[in-house]
Amino acid sequence: GAGPGRSARFSAPWRPTGAERPRRCWPCGGGCSVGHCHPLVVQAAHEQNQVLNTNSRYLHDNIVDYAQRLSETLPEKLCVFYFLNSGSEANDLALRLARQYTGHWDVVVLDHAYHGHLSSLIDISPYKFRGLDGQKEWVHVAPLPDTYRGPYREDHPNPAVAYASEVKRVVSSVQEKGRKIAAFFAESLPSVGGQIIPPAGYFPEVAEHVRRAGGVFVADEIQVGFGRVGKHFWAFQLQGEDFVPDIVTMGKSIGNGHPVACVATTQAVARAFEATGVEYFNTFGGSPVSCAVGLAVLDVLEKEQLQAHAACVGSFLMELLGQQKAKHPIIGDIRGVGLFVGVDLIKDKATRTPATEEADYLVSRLKENYILLSTDGPGRNVLKFKPPMCFSLDNAQHVVAKLDAILTDMEEKMRSCETLRLQPEAALLSPPLEKMKHPTQIHY
Amino acid sequence: MCELYSKQDTLALRRKHIGPSCKVLYAADPIKIVRAQRQYMFDEKGERYLDCINNVAHVGHCHPEVVKAALKQMEVLNTNSRFLHDNIVEYAKRLAATLPEQLSVCYFTNSGSEANDLALRLARQFRGHQDVITLDHAYHGHLSSLIEISPYKFRKGKDVKKEFVHVAPTPDIYRGKYRENHADPASAYADEVKKIIEEAQNRGRKIAAFIAESMQSCGGQIIPPAGYFQKVAEYVRGAGGVVIADEVQVGFGRVGKHFWSFQMHGKDFVPDIVTMGKPMGNGHPIACVVTTKEIAEAFSSSGMEYFNTYGGNPVSSAVGLAVLDVIENEDLQGNATRVGTYLTELLNRQKAKHTLIGDVRGVGLFVGIDLVKDRQKRTPATAEAQHVIYKMKENRVLLSADGPHRNVLKIKPPMCFTKEDAKFMVDQLDGVLTVLEEAIGAQTESVVPENTPCRTKPPGT
Repeated sequence: GAGPGRSARFSAPWRPTGAERPRRCWPCGGGCSVGHCHPLVVQAAHEQNQVLNTNSRYLHDNIVDYAQRLSETLPEKLCVFYFLNSGSEANDLALRLARQYTGHWDVVVLDHAYHGHLSSLIDISPYKFRGLDGQKEWVHVAPLPDTYRGPYREDHPNPAVAYASEVKRVVSSVQEKGRKIAAFFAESLPSVGGQIIPPAGYFPEVAEHVRRAGGVFVADEIQVGFGRVGKHFWAFQLQGEDFVPDIVTMGKSIGNGHPVACVATTQAVARAFEATGVEYFNTFGGSPVSCAVGLAVLDVLEKEQLQAHAACVGSFLMELLGQQKAKHPIIGDIRGVGLFVGVDLIKDKATRTPATEEADYLVSRLKENYILLSTDGPGRNVLKFKPPMCFSLDNAQHVVAKLDAILTDMEEKMRSCETLRLQPEAALLSPPLEKMKHPTQIHY
Repeated sequence: MCELYSKQDTLALRRKHIGPSCKVLYAADPIKIVRAQRQYMFDEKGERYLDCINNVAHVGHCHPEVVKAALKQMEVLNTNSRFLHDNIVEYAKRLAATLPEQLSVCYFTNSGSEANDLALRLARQFRGHQDVITLDHAYHGHLSSLIEISPYKFRKGKDVKKEFVHVAPTPDIYRGKYRENHADPASAYADEVKKIIEEAQNRGRKIAAFIAESMQSCGGQIIPPAGYFQKVAEYVRGAGGVVIADEVQVGFGRVGKHFWSFQMHGKDFVPDIVTMGKPMGNGHPIACVVTTKEIAEAFSSSGMEYFNTYGGNPVSSAVGLAVLDVIENEDLQGNATRVGTYLTELLNRQKAKHTLIGDVRGVGLFVGIDLVKDRQKRTPATAEAQHVIYKMKENRVLLSADGPHRNVLKIKPPMCFTKEDAKFMVDQLDGVLTVLEEAIGAQTESVVPENTPCRTKPPGT
């Protein structure tokens, strides 16, 4: 069977019966962007599958066409592409590119970052290495620019500069030890870290410090690229018109579920990599089918105006959630941009202590209501919304209504005044239903 | 065929937008392939080529059953493995059934590289050891962790061998340290591994794994001698390490008689971890690591989840299942044995005829032709090999050359390759070699010792 290192998402198997047609959110980063099984994407894959699916050592139109289309979405400097199969492969290549270009070795990352499951990436993912082999000497961790729970919060006059100064401090201390920075690696919007929106201006400041030290800026767009943020195609573009990373990695939603990923970089970086004289060959990367799929996804994003749609539905969702925040003390913070939203659940307004057990319980109640949501953040208390881009206003309304009902129910049952605290016997993974009124019996 | 860009434009766009480290075949005259079916590829002019390179298109390019399986599943569901689904468990079951009983736990990934990286993680997590023994000229993938254990790569680049990596001589009985005239090359090569283990242990280092391609492809179509792996396994396990068999190039029945290449070595050789990829999905990005319950449990004991976004998704699993079905239904293993034997026979006749051919080695549809300038010295005929592959391309046969000296012609075609294809390929090769040898001239006569009985007529007479 499948290895025990993989956890099933929910503790008990669950499958809808034929009779039910549950409405479903799919906010967990499943890599589906334009909608599950989108017919245009399926058709593109099928048509190409029937004609040719081979490797990139032969010339083919799809790969060059796809590269060109991608280059049109990016700042001009980012015009050279490497195609791979997974975000993890992309981040590993980004590391190799950075090191080759700079001649340096060390990497600066954000706390709670997650960049992939490969050996090299566990090393640069505090989210992983803290539980495994520990921090390597060439990895340096800067504070996550979390203005809700980090050291510099919403009441700080200039959190972007403050957090960027932390990076500067890290870089300086690295240099004092005689070490050299190859790269600053960050998810444009840290997802696993809790749906964090770095303050505007942070990345440009950081880039300055890193480049001055001879390093490059790697923007990991694997979770958040392709129009999800609504206002822009790429999440790093939120950081300012003039901000251009040296390397951008993409994956997950790029192929609507088909294993595709990509690294975009500058000619300078690409040429330095070539100068090693060692070929880079990825057996499946850039295949005609993968590129046909990637192109189809770009087409659908455009045709169905999903970027604008994400902006629209995203702000509506935020509005609704904002109302919920006013109503339910357990909601400490709502943050988001486009269809990338986080709901930070807390036990106490003053301390902002993560409401971990409550979040877990809430998620299982939502599942009973046929809504799939997951949590993240170091406190596993942030509800993550990153649904397929076709998520509608109705879907948003429905989810929030259910959320409201369940939170109301939880508050009634838990009998807390200002904040929600689970009573000892209720603090179970899935409390028995007989202890709770069934959701359908709630009148609201 | 309707082209979006002319070949010139395609090439120009590629130079503009695709990383220059990504090389094309036949760099001096790249080939644009727009269509493929079975063992044939077609360029933009509609010219048909016999594909002797693409082991990835295992059951034949664009096999309709595989295409159909993908379509059927793509229309219904393609999501990640955190949800229960039948396809992944069915596929794991079918794969496990092809392997010895102990190898029963599967981890699905998207590429051989991801699989090998995970194999390393499994091996290291198992007992907390770190060091890896790899073979010279090995290639295990393009990821950082794998370049470290791939001399084929790190020797070429500016990378230096890491101290936790130990390189054993590749068990190449044609060009290696111990050759076909040695009494027991398997033991001799295995003893090299033993020596490495002892030296490492003396320095306080601990062996996590011995990793080897069951048959080295980039290393030059190397088939390790019988008994080698068993002895190595003994030494490695004695040191607390595990054996990783990299079947990424050579699995799924390519050797004909067995499903997995490591099985050629006998029932008493069972690796601890097997990695597979390339042919697995007939071109769809699928790969897998299969290991024992013990190793899997040690891995999960850290409490850290292993999640691969696309690995084991319903579409990939459906595709993998379809490939297994086709291998069975079309008796592709049987075909590999029959056609492979025939091909090797034909090539051995060519060897008798052409002094450029130093060695013909192979099993099933995994064959290598080692070209030499001098049969006694076995000097690799590197330039000649390049010339041959370009000439073969002109004759509409796609071949590649590899090995540390890039002088071994590699033949690992789709498994539907026929006897007619074999004959065609060899006829073209014969022609090309004949012309080449004539051009090289007197050299061909001088390397043949005077007292050698002449079995065939020398070229030109």
